[in-house]
Amino acid sequence: MVDRAVDPLTVDTAPAQRSDHALMLAVRDGELDALGELFERHQGPLFGFLCKLTGDRPTAEDIAQTVFQRMLKYRHTYRDEGSFTAWMYHLARRCAADHFRRSQSAPHAADPADLNEHIDEAPHAAHHAATRDDHALLHAALARLDHGDREVLLLSRFQELSFAEISGILECSVGAAKVRAHRALRTLRDIYLKLQNRPAS
Amino acid sequence: MNCQRVREILPELIDESRHGPAGGDAAEARAHIAACPACEREFAALARTAAALDAMTTPPPSPRLRKNFYTMLAEEKLIAAAPAPARAAPAAAPARPAWWRAFLAPLAACALLAIGFLAGRQPSPGSRADDTAMRTELQQLREQVNKMGTLVSYSLLQQQQGPANDRLRGVLAAARAESPNDKTLDDLVSALAFDPSANVRLRALEALAPHAGRELVRSGVLAALPREQNPLVQLELIDFVAATEDPAAAPALERLSLDQATDRSVRDAAQRALARF
Repeated sequence: MVDRAVDPLTVDTAPAQRSDHALMLAVRDGELDALGELFERHQGPLFGFLCKLTGDRPTAEDIAQTVFQRMLKYRHTYRDEGSFTAWMYHLARRCAADHFRRSQSAPHAADPADLNEHIDEAPHAAHHAATRDDHALLHAALARLDHGDREVLLLSRFQELSFAEISGILECSVGAAKVRAHRALRTLRDIYLKLQNRPAS
Repeated sequence: MNCQRVREILPELIDESRHGPAGGDAAEARAHIAACPACEREFAALARTAAALDAMTTPPPSPRLRKNFYTMLAEEKLIAAAPAPARAAPAAAPARPAWWRAFLAPLAACALLAIGFLAGRQPSPGSRADDTAMRTELQQLREQVNKMGTLVSYSLLQQQQGPANDRLRGVLAAARAESPNDKTLDDLVSALAFDPSANVRLRALEALAPHAGRELVRSGVLAALPREQNPLVQLELIDFVAATEDPAAAPALERLSLDQATDRSVRDAAQRALARF
């Protein structure tokens, strides 16, 4: 077996990983390859946000692509004191709004039966079925939320953003962002419970 | 503390692990929940919803997203590395880039050799037929050399199915041509109307800008306007037709300005352009 003891003097001589902010500043200053690193870090969460927001994977991919396009186009507007994640979700909201305006339709409430395609693989069949039903109901409940409520709920629960950042993205006060997120959670709970108690067709 | 007040701050209690401790009433609210079965049920239902929501996962995006992203990044790097776009070119003849000169120099040398060779031939004295044939041949050779300079950009532009980088290179090469002929302009108009990449379409429009006085260009741009769906390209197209002040563009602009499905900024730009007519 190879001895893995390492000379302490040689440990961790690689350069420290650059922060998102530092990478975006580099992109702004002309190092376009740095956007590749940002893409690798954020494409998953961004796609997840857009997928839950639109309820449609191909649309979410198209919008995610547009978000990165706009990052390049508007890179000169990125500010020294900015937060990259907040900026990215700010762009994502705008791109999603543009998409809905163009298609003239906010996402429709989905039928739970249509939402079973992209569910996590669970090891036990019975548990998997129960989880799948639950996920489907939650997807359906989420789709029935008002667009603004869905947006604030997704930002506050999935994207590891502070309410200060969310308030910047939504262009409202921190207090208003909190109130909207909490109201959205309560509304989701009502819809979710209603769907759970609905007799199976 | 009554039930109503407790229920108002329930989400904050649930969010404590995520967004930090709840406000000053949190301890009192917790004591109330422990003693009130109705509020306890309410809290449990909300906590279950939040937990189910947090457990929702999304499978990763398809490889298409990564492929498209890196294609777009490569296009942007190419554009960033390219010399100043055609639109920025001054009215006076711009300096030709060194590589272009290097490309044309051997062609010009060949042409001169051929011309020298033909000119050096001794025609039969008094033979006007031979003289005419030689002149015709010389003229053909000149035309052939002139055409060769634009052949590269033709072939690159016409590869609609090829990589976006190649198409972009074709557009950039065409943009550098000082006096493009109808075929080049036609290819640029085709790229503007049909190319799937917004970057290529934008560069094609920039390459066409210096030739806005040509009827072929004006009508091509006008035909591309209603087809375009990308707001960035739509804005550039509107700027173009507004600059030409072509009255034929008015109906297309009017339709755009009234179409509610169109991006707001595009509609505004169309209205501003209409006001100029």
